[in-house]
Amino acid sequence: MTKIQKALRAIVSDKQLLFGLIGIAVLLLIILFQDVLETHDPYDYGPDSLAAPGINGHLLGTNKLGQDVYSMLIAGVSTSLKVALISSLISALIGILLGGAAGFLGGKVDMVLSELINVFMMIPTFFLELMIIAMFGNSITNVMIVIGLTSWASNAKLMRAQALSLRERTFVKSAIVMGETRPQILFNYIIPNGIFPVIANTTMGMSGAILTEASLSFLGLGDVNVISWGQMIYDGKSYITSAWWIATFAGIAIVLTVITFYMLGDGLNHVLNPKHISGGKK
Amino acid sequence: MSDKNTPFLTIDHITKWYPHNDGRIHLFRSREKRSWVKAVDDVSLTMNRGEVLGIIGESGCGKSTLGRILVRLESPTSGDVLLGGRSTAQMLREDRKAFRKRVQIVFQNPFDTFTPRDTIQKILMRPLRNYGIGASDEERLAMCREALEAGGLHPTDEILKRYPHELSGGQLQRISIIRSMFFKPDLIIADEPVSMLDVSVRADIINMLLDLAKKNNTAVIFISHDIALTRYISDHIAVMYLGRVVEYGRTDDVIAGPRHPYTRVLISHCADVDPDQARDSLPITGEPPTPINPGPGCYFAPRCFMACEGCRAAYPGRVELENGHYVCCSCIREE
Ligand SMILES: Nc1ncnc2c1ncn2[C@@H]1O[C@H](COP(=O)(O)OP(=O)(O)OP(=O)(O)O)[C@@H](O)[C@H]1O
Ligand SMILES: [Mg+2]
Repeated sequence: MTKIQKALRAIVSDKQLLFGLIGIAVLLLIILFQDVLETHDPYDYGPDSLAAPGINGHLLGTNKLGQDVYSMLIAGVSTSLKVALISSLISALIGILLGGAAGFLGGKVDMVLSELINVFMMIPTFFLELMIIAMFGNSITNVMIVIGLTSWASNAKLMRAQALSLRERTFVKSAIVMGETRPQILFNYIIPNGIFPVIANTTMGMSGAILTEASLSFLGLGDVNVISWGQMIYDGKSYITSAWWIATFAGIAIVLTVITFYMLGDGLNHVLNPKHISGGKK
Repeated sequence: MSDKNTPFLTIDHITKWYPHNDGRIHLFRSREKRSWVKAVDDVSLTMNRGEVLGIIGESGCGKSTLGRILVRLESPTSGDVLLGGRSTAQMLREDRKAFRKRVQIVFQNPFDTFTPRDTIQKILMRPLRNYGIGASDEERLAMCREALEAGGLHPTDEILKRYPHELSGGQLQRISIIRSMFFKPDLIIADEPVSMLDVSVRADIINMLLDLAKKNNTAVIFISHDIALTRYISDHIAVMYLGRVVEYGRTDDVIAGPRHPYTRVLISHCADVDPDQARDSLPITGEPPTPINPGPGCYFAPRCFMACEGCRAAYPGRVELENGHYVCCSCIREE
């Protein structure tokens, strides 16, 4: 009861978080009512090619193949969210495990893992993504995995810093004395107490994932069988002067979604700050 | 192992040096030339099963470091600790879990002893499950309730549901003691267990610790600044100064007849040790130094009111007095 009240108060007090949550709610509602909202089948090649917005009941016009742009935008929401969610989960999982182990175990393990983290922080990830996609094919699953595999380093760095300070805390020392094993300590104490900055960072990283997917699509390395906003921009870029609506609305959708996730992540960062949550101490 | 002559606990020439970070890079300097913080410097002590050993000394003299070495949160730079004649370093290597069960510690800061994420129930149940104490979870929960009840923490169901930040320091420290005592350890180190608590609850918590220790025949090493308190509960007292034990003996011998000038200063500054005997405060000058490359000579000499030339030449050896009482001071002659 009091916990829920506390959470509600935190949400209302943080404008960014509120904005982010409303944005996410809207996106989820769109996915939920996708069938109702779509005026046409987005995969259906209609008779109207390059119709301007408003013509023949096409709210935002059509593309070269006669697909309804508005319905494609709606269908693109679930693609973007799926990419964001799954790639971030992969990135968070790797980051938390490697960063937590590096910071908590220290010594040689830390040396090796820290180097790995640094390498992944420094390499041009987008180039790596391009290469992997070019090599393994451009299905949406591959895109998600690749984004996850290349974006975990910042999570790992955050988690490592948390683990480094947590391992000096008395409750970790007392767990050692109580005979708990290192994996037990990692999973019972280090990760649960250090995960919040990673959650916030991952949420912010979701906007990066959406952008990366869009960029890959824009370069023609997206999944052509799935409707995504990036793919729409890719298709629309040759018609940008004659049929501007194909790319423009998709671009706006990307910007709004990216801002939503960014706000949510930043808001979470404020609210989940250890100073706010650990109640007992000042 | 059960040899009559083997003491229960032997602290055998323990040293702990930390590299002193003076901002320079020491990549190419040898071990001898680097500067070190000698937090614990050649400490040897013994104690018997079920006894209470008090360790006193001012802040920074290495009491907590010694405690951490005894529970093997850190390993000593040199020396070893023997429990029942067996090396604890070896015990830890051979069977970590069994060693942890035998040696426990109560930390100074009860507010940070438990993870803020878990309820007291989870915190108490975890070691029981880990060690298979109790046949089932119901039995373990009953053990927790019983221990809380006996420790004066009620209503137990309410306490079990709480998170650490919803309890007072005194309550948390009791829970910390209860949790350690689930193991019926052979040795428990209490590192200033009440110094962060309200004066009104201190006596209760120490009594609880001592009662449980007596019941389980657990030896207690009581680390403290507080001479009056330490004197009241311990069988023997060791006085530490800059990482070294400067005086050791039966509590009454040390308190009533302190020989080392440092002990005499400490006791003379402690008003409530001996109210009938009006003592003048002995002088002590200077700040407590940090143990960075101390010596040669007696570490206390720069602040000592008795210091003479001989004190600065070499670190004084032990001077044995009656009943195992000894002091490290060059100005004292054997009787
Ligand atoms: N990890 C470490 N690295 C470097 N120096 C350390 C470390 N731990 C302790 N020291 C130093 O060792 C000395 C002894 O510290 P310790 O905490 O054991 O003192 P203490 O007697 O427990 O003091 P207090 O009464 O304040 O708790 C101090 O000078 C301290 O600065
Ligand atoms: Mg201390």
